[in-house]
Amino acid sequence: MDATTSVLQNPATVDAYQAVYDTLGRAYWDASTIDAKDLIQGAREPIYDIITELDEAQLAANTTAMLALQSKIKDTNVALHKIKDAIDEITKNLNTATNVVSAISNVLAITAPLL
Amino acid sequence: MSAKPTIPVRPGHFPGPISLVLPLLLSFAGCATSPLAKHTAEFATATNAVVDDSENAYRAAVRLHDDEQLSAAVQKYDTNQPWDPHNIKHLIDARGLDARADILDGLKTYAQTLADLTSGQSDSLDTTAKSIGATLQQMSAAVNPDATATPIFSITPGEANAASTALKALGDYLISNKVKSAVPKVIHDMDPNIEALSNLLDSDITILRRQSGNDYEQLLMQQDTFIRKSGAELSPIERRAEIKKLGQIILRKEATDDMLHQLQLTIKSLAETHHALAVAAQSKDNASLSERIAELKATADRLSHFYNSLPTTTT
Repeated sequence: MDATTSVLQNPATVDAYQAVYDTLGRAYWDASTIDAKDLIQGAREPIYDIITELDEAQLAANTTAMLALQSKIKDTNVALHKIKDAIDEITKNLNTATNVVSAISNVLAITAPLL
Repeated sequence: MSAKPTIPVRPGHFPGPISLVLPLLLSFAGCATSPLAKHTAEFATATNAVVDDSENAYRAAVRLHDDEQLSAAVQKYDTNQPWDPHNIKHLIDARGLDARADILDGLKTYAQTLADLTSGQSDSLDTTAKSIGATLQQMSAAVNPDATATPIFSITPGEANAASTALKALGDYLISNKVKSAVPKVIHDMDPNIEALSNLLDSDITILRRQSGNDYEQLLMQQDTFIRKSGAELSPIERRAEIKKLGQIILRKEATDDMLHQLQLTIKSLAETHHALAVAAQSKDNASLSERIAELKATADRLSHFYNSLPTTTT
């Protein structure tokens, strides 16, 4: 990371620009003439642009970090689905036992007259 | 939490050891949920709020920033600064929005699957358990086709229901064992990822709060400039409406910031809830007595509801 990137990614940098932007905003409403207001807004807009650039850069950095996290969350969901499958297997086995009883019941229904 | 005195425990209808165990289990019935299920349900609720509100927040922030650029373009249109409408730059590009939507969907799936696994509810198990009782009664009817004769092999509805409940209890026990042996590790391993994701979302929202605040400020200045420079050409009613918009922009700015602040608090709560969940899931060996009792009551409650849902007449 070069010195410029380091300075731009420092939260204090954007905070400093934001403080100037806010101060100029208060000055805008205090100004009594259109010319003074135009002058202040003219100074304020480049600062708005710088803050926007810094915000977009930080959001892009967060995107990269989120993409890295995505695979971990997907892996975890796969692990949870394996547990779900194991539980479904337990239910399936109990269902098999029920089917056996049902089959016996059917046989008994057929052979009952012989008992 | 109150006991349910009206539970229809039918003495003499439970064959064998279940005649002792089932009434005991049913006597625990109440509104309890296990600590793990309680935490996973809370986590799923917090997650749904965070996911829905975050997606709305991203969309709103991107739309607001687009609006600011359009408003700025209108103001600069007749100046010597050229404006190309193709140059509108979204605050977050499509790749960034997709990445966020994917990770939030993954989080939602994780929370919902976790809640489903730990809830102790299994419709297919209930169906299977119910059918064993019905099948036993069919078997009884099959071997006793003549109702007036001395029965060879007879099963009363109460005994059939007891068999269903016993199978349900066995299934619950096996499923609970599987959940307790496998799920806590998954939650524990996921905890740092949830913390990292919460930090990233919090960072995003901090940026959105700042950027949205500035976008509203720019819209405010542009509106004010329009009124001061072109207001004279407006009718009194039009001018009044345009001035009124200044206050409306401020109100929207404040409402947006309040909403985003609330979202940050919910994200913090999400991370804390998951951490509590991870601790609760890992505390198998040193769980307090009250937690163990709550788990037992939760099991009894499920069994009681299941037993009460069974038919009491011969099928």
